[in-house]
Amino acid sequence: MDLTPSEDQTAYQTATADWCRDHMPLEEARSRRPGLWSSLTEMGWIGMTAPDTGLDHATEALVFAELGRFLAPVALLSSAVGARWTGSGDKAAIALPAPDGSARLIDADGAASAVGLFDGELGSFALPGSLAAAPSLDLSATVARLDALPSIARVNDPRAVLHLRLLSAAFAIGAADAARDMATGYAKIREQFGRPIGWFQAIKHICADMAVRAAVARSQLYYAACALDAGESDAAFHVAAAKRLADQAAIDNGRANIQVHGGIGMTDEAAPHLCLKRAHLLQFIAPADMTQLLA
Amino acid sequence: MDIGFSPEETRFREECRDWLHANVPAERRPPDAIDAIDFDKAWQRRLFDAGWAGINWPSEYGGRGLSIVQQVIWLEEYARAGAPWIGANFVGINHGGPTLIINASEEQKAYHLPRILKGEAIWCQGFSEPGAGSDLAGIRTKARIEGDELVVNGSKIWTSFAHVADWQELVLRTEEGSERHKGLSWVICDMHVPGITIRPIRKISGQTEFAEVFYDDVRIPLANVVGGLGNGWKVAMSTLSFERGTGFIADQVAQSREIEDLIEKARARGLIKDMRIAESLAQMRSEVAALRAMTYRNISEVMRTGQPGPEASVIRLFTSELGQRLERMAVLLMGEEMIDFAYGDDNGISDYLRGFAQTIAGGSAQIQRDIIGERLLGLPKSR
Ligand SMILES: Cc1cc2nc3c(=O)[nH]c(=O)nc-3n(C[C@H](O)[C@H](O)[C@H](O)COP(=O)(O)OP(=O)(O)OC[C@H]3O[C@@H](n4cnc5c(N)ncnc54)[C@H](O)[C@@H]3O)c2cc1C
Repeated sequence: MDLTPSEDQTAYQTATADWCRDHMPLEEARSRRPGLWSSLTEMGWIGMTAPDTGLDHATEALVFAELGRFLAPVALLSSAVGARWTGSGDKAAIALPAPDGSARLIDADGAASAVGLFDGELGSFALPGSLAAAPSLDLSATVARLDALPSIARVNDPRAVLHLRLLSAAFAIGAADAARDMATGYAKIREQFGRPIGWFQAIKHICADMAVRAAVARSQLYYAACALDAGESDAAFHVAAAKRLADQAAIDNGRANIQVHGGIGMTDEAAPHLCLKRAHLLQFIAPADMTQLLA
Repeated sequence: MDIGFSPEETRFREECRDWLHANVPAERRPPDAIDAIDFDKAWQRRLFDAGWAGINWPSEYGGRGLSIVQQVIWLEEYARAGAPWIGANFVGINHGGPTLIINASEEQKAYHLPRILKGEAIWCQGFSEPGAGSDLAGIRTKARIEGDELVVNGSKIWTSFAHVADWQELVLRTEEGSERHKGLSWVICDMHVPGITIRPIRKISGQTEFAEVFYDDVRIPLANVVGGLGNGWKVAMSTLSFERGTGFIADQVAQSREIEDLIEKARARGLIKDMRIAESLAQMRSEVAALRAMTYRNISEVMRTGQPGPEASVIRLFTSELGQRLERMAVLLMGEEMIDFAYGDDNGISDYLRGFAQTIAGGSAQIQRDIIGERLLGLPKSR
């Protein structure tokens, strides 16, 4: 039993963060540099856990938390899970089916297929040639509508859903971390009443609570990833718990970050809203339902 | 990263489980300190005789010399078996002993550690004073040096188990005119010597579990100073690091049992159909799982570096607030039965009331948030 990253895992983590800082800063989330997607593919973040790579979910979760910290494109989630379970090696959009038979497609630009949850199972389908993509709440992603779903290739393995849920939890934890660090960073430099605002307990304690939420969710992410790798019988519960806590941490930290920033936090120009909006999008991707948590 | 246990650890877990199954006392631990003291001592002795005391303490002082992972396995099985709270042994086992292991002389360790493990010596903690709670550096209870003795005058308060204790980890101002963190000493005080007066205090839950302690020319041999005269702040911080870092692992693992009990109760009473209750139970079950994961992360850190990381305060804060939410849910499920509570009752209501201490004792929730903000996040110090 060891729930701290090994040296190798730390190396993956650090390398990912370094690369992201140089090529994919969070502030650029709404308009990424041209060619980003092919660089992401080249870096190997799609299909990290493909059968031939020998990497475990724990390492993948660590790496995806780093990617999430920089608000990496959300289609990385569907593409990575697609690569593992549907054999697609390309960009896959995220499909969010609606009760009326239609679906939203998230981040479908340049994607040939979409991956999503259908009645609790992972499924994929090919995308039509042209889709009318519109802006979405998360300014880094577009949304397109399909009036009716085409036929879906389902993956007959419950681990596929858990994989998508785990990676989107990792993304949410990254967003929660980013919001915590942004708020803390600002609290150290913004001065009012002759002192950094982080000197005041009212602000300090908001930041402390952000740190607690992020640490709680991250711990559960590690446990869930290990439970999945070990094929534990309660892996589904642990992944569901990780997803729930990660979404909460991302949303609550996203909200708190805006408060800590004051007026500037309300502006389109500043970054805090990007973390919050990402968090709200992620909560709809492979959400955990209550029956899994109370089973 | 992995959550697997070695074959040796798994065998160890089975041994724990088997022994607990056969040995957990059928009778409940009496709720009040005075009534429970014989029970606490006898149970600790049984644990010691069977090799379950001081699992990760050095073997030369009566421990087993095993790993902290095995200690945690024991605590997990202990909670699962519904074994009694260690009660009055809490201070000695969880932070008095560990502080001695790190800071005390050979002689002090050889004398005290085995007695703590055998349940022969009950310890209490004399840190807080009427004027110095959260602000521990404000303590004023002082000692002058006369020959090879310290002569102590002043008072301590909220001292848990003082009225049943044999020894105390006592922090004193030993340097005349010193201020704040300087001039303090961490001293082993014999609770049975002349000049000590103890006034037990009743809690809102009805138990008389802590006390005010007055010192009137109390004489303590200088040989009882731990870690050197004037180094009390440093030694006290190591005590707190154990108290906050690993001292609550038993509480953390006990919460896994509490949440399962609550879910069962809610099902049995049909209350789980209430969406708000189901939602809140699902939330707490997730949080309890995360707490276990955090505990594992913390002990993995201890295994690597030898001490709990700065995230200990995160765990402490989270455990205490989660504990209170669990207890709040327990009384919610109880309904109007709550009205019938009377002092002396030992049930979910007394647990709920007693549980308010979780965010006060051992550094309040506000102080933990300061520590997280300042030490973990690097925000400017307010104090
Ligand atoms: C059940 C129980 C058992 C205990 N057992 C022991 C024991 O065995 N030995 C021992 O030495 N002590 C013990 N204590 C004492 C405990 O450590 C103190 O109660 C605690 O440190 C708080 O100090 P205080 O009670 O003086 O409250 P205060 O420090 O006066 O705090 C009152 C309120 O003010 C807040 N506050 C204080 N300072 C700040 C600040 N800087 N910023 C923001 N808020 C602040 C606190 O959070 C709290 O809400 C025990 C306490 C309890 C409740």
